[in-house]
Amino acid sequence: MSEESNLSRRKFLAKATVGIGGAITALIGIPAIIYVVGPVLKKEGDSGWMRIGPTSKVTPGTPTLFSIKIERETGWVTNQQDIMVYVYTDDGRNYAAMSNICTHLACRVRWIEERQEFFCPCHNGVFDKHGNVLAGPPPRPLDRFELKTENDEIFIKVG
Amino acid sequence: MLNRFSNWLDARTGWRNIWEGIFLRKVPKVNWLYTLGSASLFIVVNQVVTGILLTIYYVPNPDHAYDSVQYITTQVALGWLIRGLHHWGASAMVVLVFLHMLRVIFLGSYKFPREVTWFSGVVLFLVTIGFGFTGYLLPWDEKAYWATTVGTQIAGTPPVIGDVALRILRGGEDLTAMTLVRFFGMHVWVLPAILLSLVGLHVYLVIKHGISTTPKRGEIKHE
Ligand code: HEM
Ligand code: FES
Repeated sequence: MSEESNLSRRKFLAKATVGIGGAITALIGIPAIIYVVGPVLKKEGDSGWMRIGPTSKVTPGTPTLFSIKIERETGWVTNQQDIMVYVYTDDGRNYAAMSNICTHLACRVRWIEERQEFFCPCHNGVFDKHGNVLAGPPPRPLDRFELKTENDEIFIKVG
Repeated sequence: MLNRFSNWLDARTGWRNIWEGIFLRKVPKVNWLYTLGSASLFIVVNQVVTGILLTIYYVPNPDHAYDSVQYITTQVALGWLIRGLHHWGASAMVVLVFLHMLRVIFLGSYKFPREVTWFSGVVLFLVTIGFGFTGYLLPWDEKAYWATTVGTQIAGTPPVIGDVALRILRGGEDLTAMTLVRFFGMHVWVLPAILLSLVGLHVYLVIKHGISTTPKRGEIKHE
């Protein structure tokens, strides 16, 4: 074989190696990414309307804490998850349901009766009884659940 | 641009020497049987990559092992593919490594100065078998459970040391959660650590000595 054809053969083989190697890498690399992120893209089940308790438990003017358990499928495990809701009413007719998850970085807020405000211990976030921000870093009022009352029972919509 | 960058990098790392030493070394005219070592190496890479991916969902605990494997195969996007590659790759690896060893035996490539290459190869073969043995238990289904019951029971048969060997393998008297975690630990930490260091040594030696030529009838070689 002449020197020149030897060289082009070598070049061809080098190109072929890189090409086939790249193809194999892509062939496993792309499925690998799909495999890793796949379950993340699945939508979590919607629980719909959940009964959380009687309206009689709520004293007008004071946020009252309700706690419900819902079942969530995570991977191959079904586990119970607690959802905490503060229900508030001024007049005993119109109710609002607020999540206890701080809108800053998701610590749990607590109603402090003496100070008449919600307090988040993580970075001193403070909310009033309607969930509006009074002080600290939280960027927006406490999140609300859709709520309805039927026969003196409170229902909220859990997404 | 690219050229300037590779010059810059070469001045600081000397990568070109290494690159040429690995890929541009001279090889004698040999046959296709000499590709079996590279084929083994390819499967090793496949097993490492797919194995790491499997650990993203797999749980080495009797309460979850079976379900997590089922989850991978039936729920995770392309999970069947990743598990399939690892599963069939495992069998392919045993076969390829064994054939590679046969070729080294039949062509006499284990002789001076390649004895250490051979020794490292012997351990690599044992490690490959170890991977198969420990990996088989991990899905924690009936087949896995009873195969490992039998396999570890065999280790218990020799006199004197048998009982201790069996207990060490199982992490106790019976096949339990203890067995599953230790097999998992072996399979994903201990054996890969041994395998990868030995593959490094093995391939280094192959490059250092160069590939042996095919023996020819009636030819005596003085090297
Ligand atoms: C994970 C397993 C192994 C890998 C990745 C591997 C890889 C390789 C590679 C890439 C080569 C050079 C190409 C070739 O000759 O095919 C080679 C050569 C060699 N292997 Fe292995 N090998 C493995 C297992 C073994 C086993 C089980 C033995 C023997 C017990 C062995 C003994 C040798 C010897 C003596 C050579 C030198 C051959 C020569 O210079 O002609 N290897 N190996
Ligand atoms: S998380 Fe509540 S204030 Fe930062």
